[in-house]
Amino acid sequence: MNAPPVSAPADAPVARMSTTRLRSLQSLGIFCGFAAGAWLGCAEAPIKLVNSDISPITVSLIMVCGVFLARWSLPALIRGTSHVHGDIRQAPHLVVWAVLAGCMWAVANTLTIYAIRDVGLSIAFPLWNTNSLLGIVWGFLLFNELHYAGWKRWLGVVGGALCMFGGAALLAVASSHQAAPGKAAFGVLAALGAGILWGTMYIPYRKAYLTGMNPLSFITFFTVGELATMTVLAVGYRGLGPLSRELANARPVLFWLMLGGFVWVLGDLFQQYATKYVGISRGIPLSNTNQLWGLLWGILVFHELRGAGHTVYAQVAGGSLLMALGAVAIALSSATEDEHNSWRDAADREGRRYGIQEEYVRAGMEGREFAARASGRTITDWLLILGSSGLFVALATMAKLPRMNISVGWASVVGAAMLFLLGVCGLALWRTTRFR
Amino acid sequence: MSSKETNRSRSLFRVITTDIHFWIPLSVLLGGLVLLDKLR
Repeated sequence: MNAPPVSAPADAPVARMSTTRLRSLQSLGIFCGFAAGAWLGCAEAPIKLVNSDISPITVSLIMVCGVFLARWSLPALIRGTSHVHGDIRQAPHLVVWAVLAGCMWAVANTLTIYAIRDVGLSIAFPLWNTNSLLGIVWGFLLFNELHYAGWKRWLGVVGGALCMFGGAALLAVASSHQAAPGKAAFGVLAALGAGILWGTMYIPYRKAYLTGMNPLSFITFFTVGELATMTVLAVGYRGLGPLSRELANARPVLFWLMLGGFVWVLGDLFQQYATKYVGISRGIPLSNTNQLWGLLWGILVFHELRGAGHTVYAQVAGGSLLMALGAVAIALSSATEDEHNSWRDAADREGRRYGIQEEYVRAGMEGREFAARASGRTITDWLLILGSSGLFVALATMAKLPRMNISVGWASVVGAAMLFLLGVCGLALWRTTRFR
Repeated sequence: MSSKETNRSRSLFRVITTDIHFWIPLSVLLGGLVLLDKLR
């Protein structure tokens, strides 16, 4: 929908969003949640190609550099940075929220490294997946999510999230049966800390999208916090000298790590749209299906469970089924008109507090354009796109593919499925909201 | 920076810092940094 500019007077009667439009946005949000799971899970694939002695903190920093490039070049490519400026003019306070969320992501990501080191993936993964349960709590308490939803939808969302948590636990046990446990208490604390940080990080997300900001604008500032925090942590932990030497030695794998970051951004972008259109209580659990896709890449492409016993395969089957059931339960529990009206109350509250134009907030919630802006890309946009592409090409020429037993056939099949999801979901976003 | 812009920045700062929603993620972030420091 490409609506003309509308500026309703303050005392004009407020038109409600049509039921058809509401349903269409809800379906779009749920679809985005599933696409997010697929692309976030796939982000692990290029990292698996990295078989070197680089420290996890440095790996994380290099990935975040790829993320930074993608988060500036993709919005430039999709809508142009003039839209980002327009959003900031309307809601400047959201820059602070976006940077804060980026800082939280970086700290949470670093905590997961310690969690995996100390307790292994089997315990750590389900613990940080509790972020979806915390997201439901914040969504209910702060943003009127699940208000007037009825017991069936409550059961669908909370039951679905618990079901996915159980499935995640089983999958994590199965996929890391060789992991050696270390300092248990610290590891558990680190994993729980990451879950709390990631669950709370969705407060800024929801705040931004309730008040009409475009996800493409939000992520450009989110990544400033992300890169700044990650750089400080990496320099603080490794020291400037050793970090520089490690980065210089990592030249052959820089491309794979930054590609992982780029793929991750595509998944995260879908996650942002899911959060915008179905809220955090539904968007986070749906994105957590990334574990299923990660496992798919691991088993089919990288032969990770080859030689494992029947118990492991039973755990994988059971865990996958539980996760899929939980995701379906959440997908079938989309917000009713009554619940959506209570979201609008929360949006109005935010709009009043920060002095944002009512029509801007409303247009954002309904996924339509607020005001006619000059479309097309500026010189800055093209410089961003060409600069990022050029850097990736340069890194690709230096990259070396490690000798690994990879199933190219399965990689093509799973890759094709991902591209199909990207194309269909991207098209749905374009046709329904023009990436609003 | 003009006085109008300065006033707007001050007002924005006041509105953000008096929003309880701001202190929840900030406290969690600080807690995460403390935890990270203990784990090193």
